[in-house]
Amino acid sequence: MGNSGKIFNLSLIYATFRASAPIIYAALCAAITQQANILNIGTEGIMLVGAFTAVTVSFFTGTWILGVFAAMLSGALISLIMAVGHIKYHSEICAIGMGVNLFAIAISKFLLQAIFKTSGSFSDPGLSVIPRLHFAFLEHVPILGDLWNDCCLTEWLVLFLVLFLEFLFYKTVWGLRLRAVGKFPDAARTAGIPVDTVRYQAMLISGLIGGLAGAHLSLGYSSQFVENMTNNRGFMGVAAMYFGGANPILTSVGCLLFGFSDSVGARLQAYGFPAQFVLMMPYLVTILILSLSLIVKRKTIRRRESALLPAMRTDAGKA
Amino acid sequence: MKEEYVVEMLSVSKSFAEVCAVKDGSFNLKKGEIHSLIGENGAGKSTMMKLLYGMYPIDKGEIFIKGERMLRLNPGIAIEHGIGMVHQEFMLVNELSVLENIILGFEPKKGLKIDFAKAEKEIRKYIELYHLELPLDKKVGQISVGEAQRVEIIKTLMRGAEIIILDEPTAVLTPQETQKLFEIMRNLKKEGKSLVFISHKLNEVMDISDRISVMRQGVFRGSMNKEETSPLELTKHMIGREVFLSGGGKRGVPGEVVLELCDVWVPSAKESSKIRGMSFSLREGEILGLAGIDGNGQSELIEAITGLRRVERGRILLDGIDIANQTPKRIRKLGLSHIPEDRNVRGLNRSMNVLENLLSVEIDQAPYSKGPYLNQRAMERHGEELIRSFDIRPNNCKGPSAALSGGNAQKLVVARELSLKKKVLIAAQPTRGVDIGAIESIRAALEKARREGSGILLVSAELEEILSLSDRIIVIHEGRITGEMPVSDANENNLGLLMMGGGKEERKYERI
Repeated sequence: MGNSGKIFNLSLIYATFRASAPIIYAALCAAITQQANILNIGTEGIMLVGAFTAVTVSFFTGTWILGVFAAMLSGALISLIMAVGHIKYHSEICAIGMGVNLFAIAISKFLLQAIFKTSGSFSDPGLSVIPRLHFAFLEHVPILGDLWNDCCLTEWLVLFLVLFLEFLFYKTVWGLRLRAVGKFPDAARTAGIPVDTVRYQAMLISGLIGGLAGAHLSLGYSSQFVENMTNNRGFMGVAAMYFGGANPILTSVGCLLFGFSDSVGARLQAYGFPAQFVLMMPYLVTILILSLSLIVKRKTIRRRESALLPAMRTDAGKA
Repeated sequence: MKEEYVVEMLSVSKSFAEVCAVKDGSFNLKKGEIHSLIGENGAGKSTMMKLLYGMYPIDKGEIFIKGERMLRLNPGIAIEHGIGMVHQEFMLVNELSVLENIILGFEPKKGLKIDFAKAEKEIRKYIELYHLELPLDKKVGQISVGEAQRVEIIKTLMRGAEIIILDEPTAVLTPQETQKLFEIMRNLKKEGKSLVFISHKLNEVMDISDRISVMRQGVFRGSMNKEETSPLELTKHMIGREVFLSGGGKRGVPGEVVLELCDVWVPSAKESSKIRGMSFSLREGEILGLAGIDGNGQSELIEAITGLRRVERGRILLDGIDIANQTPKRIRKLGLSHIPEDRNVRGLNRSMNVLENLLSVEIDQAPYSKGPYLNQRAMERHGEELIRSFDIRPNNCKGPSAALSGGNAQKLVVARELSLKKKVLIAAQPTRGVDIGAIESIRAALEKARREGSGILLVSAELEEILSLSDRIIVIHEGRITGEMPVSDANENNLGLLMMGGGKEERKYERI
């Protein structure tokens, strides 16, 4: 089998999922506001603040649960500030979002110095982290056991979150209203829906998810805080959200592609591929995926709009 | 306050900024009647009803609904009191299904989920009772205008409306679809609903109403029973004088073919507006009227000819040169000018001043510019001349174009395009939404251009306009030509049938 057998084996599946989970959280954070036609480019910053808050609170209280909750609250706080700026004062959401991203890098760096008297990164053996779930019955199941035992709690949670948002968007009253607000706010308004309230709610939930994404990154995916540790995962999430058209399940598929390229890259490095190339891979894949999805979208629109094609079909039907 | 009225509005006034939209308006509605509100564009009819629906607060006056004085009014409160409004612009989300659109805002629930089954059962009841045929599963973006209107009517009924306001509902319908709407309105009336019908088409008003109220320039001119009035009397109230809209002017003999379409295919997002193999020709000194219901490919056709939309197959010959898929600029250079159908989107740049808009298509040519420099004096001279000859008011070159009224803004566009004196003019809805004075002068300008030898393709939603200006008429339906005739053979009936797709639907609309 050679090297390719070592690179493409079963554990790649778990590695892919593990690498994807933080991006999926980020993508869901962006998807919910996108349904209300708000581009949450601040996902990256919300996530980073969440990651820092989680580590700090967990370290001082000694319980990861409080850390996770605090992270979600901090995310919600930031997204609400963004919401007030955008919805109430009509400022450009991309400008606010980029502001949040820059602010997050600076404030986490500053607080890392101020609180932990260190720079670069912070970790501590006493840090309470999100537990990994061990199922005794899975131990002896050959493939599934290897794949799914000892997953982090928040890695399981993300699967439920995807399904929950899918249900929320397409089966519930709130989801229908959210989509109506996003597609044609005037119609929603005349139907008596408080458009701005729905937008605030979407931003609030987005902040909670974004904070959770950060907590998972620092207390689940790893057990430390590193400066700028989100490392563009927020942006990748936004890209995947576009790829999936803000549909939670399709969006997650996009994230898995990122996760896949990330884990394959890590393995390739072990076989002498230049590190720079490996580091480039997720971003190359981002560009590739976005270009491909745009080309496909353009093609389907062209086909759907064409005056020739359906006519040809009827011609063929007659012949 | 008399008991018999379900709605009563007493000396209501409303101004926007400095403009008085409604002055001392009164209106009342009896239970189970169809009450028409008529007047020209901009007479304040829609505003009056939007005040009743609570979309704007009133400045002065009193509004009673079912005998209760409304001190505070917004759409939510109006709906609670049984008022429903079908707006001119549909308030529907294209990406959602018909069913989702209808229940939006008061969705029936089962546990956490929306109870789609229950909603559908409920809606079917209304569909049967009032004969409102509708495909519930289709996305709104894929249904016809008439169907979308029925969706809006069901929406008001589902919200418990007893009083239904229809704001110019027939503006976008064919005569046949209009009859279908009237049938529905009569069914609603039979079930005890009270209806307000806003229109400026007298024949429709005389057909459907029990009572008629007239407004002119924001002022209420009085109400009368249909039996006690006549179209002539209503016209006098509406306009205040007798109007002669041009037409029947001297028609020259058309010359050479200047624009020819050969088997043209054009894509579109909507199935009904894809152009499928269209061929026709336009001669110099001729007005060719293109009749059709909005959304049957008119916009797509215009965009294809003017270079704004891709042509998939076929040739468009402008004076013998194929202009299909050329850039708009090149097409203009080859001899085409274009009055776009929406002056606010494509006709004008509202953030620039009158002069800049007047010159926007020739600003890169002598004498208005030389290299990178503009010749301000030449520009102004030309601008002032156009303002004078087309009577654009206020007559100020440097004034902001955003301050122009609809009629004057449209005159600006017409002035710019006609002053180019190109061989071919595409005039799309040249008089849509402008006052009667502007209509007269724009039509006269088009006729003058014809006399001077331009070939004009006139696309209009107003059959009356097509009939009074054209030399020849083609009718399109779902992107295909369904008929062509000289104007002498055309009337509202045979055009209406062709607009519906040909003689297939023999219906009882003869009484129009």
